[in-house]
Amino acid sequence: MVVWITLIVGLLAAVIAVGLALGRGESESIREVMRDLVLHDRNKIRFFGLQVNPAVISAYTVTGVLLFAALLIRIFAVPRFKTVPGKFQAVLEKAVDFFGGMAEERASRWVTFVSAYIFSAGAYIFFSTLFELFGLQAISTGNKSVTLPAPLADINGALAMGIMSFAVILGAGLFSNGPKGALRVLKDFSLPISMSFRLYGALLSGLLVSELVYHYIALSFVLPVIVGVLFTLLHAIIQTYVLTVLVSIFYGEAVEPFKKSDKKRSKKNRKNESEGVKE
Amino acid sequence: MPLNIDILQILLHMLNFVILAGGLTLLLFNPVRKFIEKRQKQFEAREAENRENAQKNENDRIEYERKLAEFENEAEEMRQRLEQEAADTAKEYIDSAKAEADAIIAKAEADAEKRKEQILDSAQTEIGELVISAAQKLLADTATPERTQDLYDAFIEQASAGARKKADRNGQQAQGGGK
Repeated sequence: MVVWITLIVGLLAAVIAVGLALGRGESESIREVMRDLVLHDRNKIRFFGLQVNPAVISAYTVTGVLLFAALLIRIFAVPRFKTVPGKFQAVLEKAVDFFGGMAEERASRWVTFVSAYIFSAGAYIFFSTLFELFGLQAISTGNKSVTLPAPLADINGALAMGIMSFAVILGAGLFSNGPKGALRVLKDFSLPISMSFRLYGALLSGLLVSELVYHYIALSFVLPVIVGVLFTLLHAIIQTYVLTVLVSIFYGEAVEPFKKSDKKRSKKNRKNESEGVKE
Repeated sequence: MPLNIDILQILLHMLNFVILAGGLTLLLFNPVRKFIEKRQKQFEAREAENRENAQKNENDRIEYERKLAEFENEAEEMRQRLEQEAADTAKEYIDSAKAEADAIIAKAEADAEKRKEQILDSAQTEIGELVISAAQKLLADTATPERTQDLYDAFIEQASAGARKKADRNGQQAQGGGK
């Protein structure tokens, strides 16, 4: 036992010493790495003739994997569903029921549509955030190996998610209450920006901290496990929950039937409340 | 653009998400949701059936209790009726037996009385016969011609005395009537 522990400690010390002495042998400085992670302006990857950020490849990879998994589940698992569910069936049902319930609780119209939307968004955010844990590599146009990041750690991916969510809410308001409904949604013009940058900031911060940790070999033992869990798994859960809740809340408000007397009533209520406070 | 925002890449991300959302909805969300709804409907149907069965059972229980009460009442009535009938029958038997016994006793008494009378008659006859026989025997032993003559004489004398007394009395009555 003592020999085993001594051996481990000795080897660790040797690795750290050699690593510190030789460095990682990378051409990029930490400053360049950070800049590239934020801006994605250097390492591009070719994608059907287009030069795109690695996050686009990550996004399509995640989509491919998820759709393949969904297809397998649809073919092999769903037909074998039982009235009393097993563990896997229970997880699937819980996920569908969770997002469906979230939509039903807040939205009064087109509940199935918004349930499906937030289910898909939730699945995408959760699994795409976990995707960075696998550390898959791709070859950039400059023939460098690039680690594929979480798709939403790219501002373009986060913006796409925010804009689409806003479009869903805006469309629901427009179809539900006409132009007035759309205007009511447009009042919250900051919504897509806040949604996008919340996702982007949360995931990017995790990515940057993880990258900082991985950049120095001395910090590459034990600590990445904790950091990885903290900044990836927790982000995946929290950001999934936050975005789906926000979409369902704003969607519910948008499809709520528009009443002409709402404004007057709210003013009257406010007046009554202020008088009550004065008394 | 600032922060390397690229419209093309945003559109690529959107396309990616639309593909994903459609695929997940068709392959996973809808089938699972339909299965949950179907099971929910099954449970609701089963629950409704259970409620209906429970109601039916409750109605059956009430009906059973009602019938049981009816049967108990009927049994009680029947028991009372049978008891009454048994009592009446017993009374009839007793009365009949008593009447029969009375009749037997009366007949026995009558028979006994009759028998007694017959016995008495027979006894009297026998006694008379015995007396006559005894008297004959006595007379046969005591009667002599002299004594018989004396008796006849005494009888004629007494008869004559009686006739005279009667004639006197008639004469006195005739004199009294003349006055």
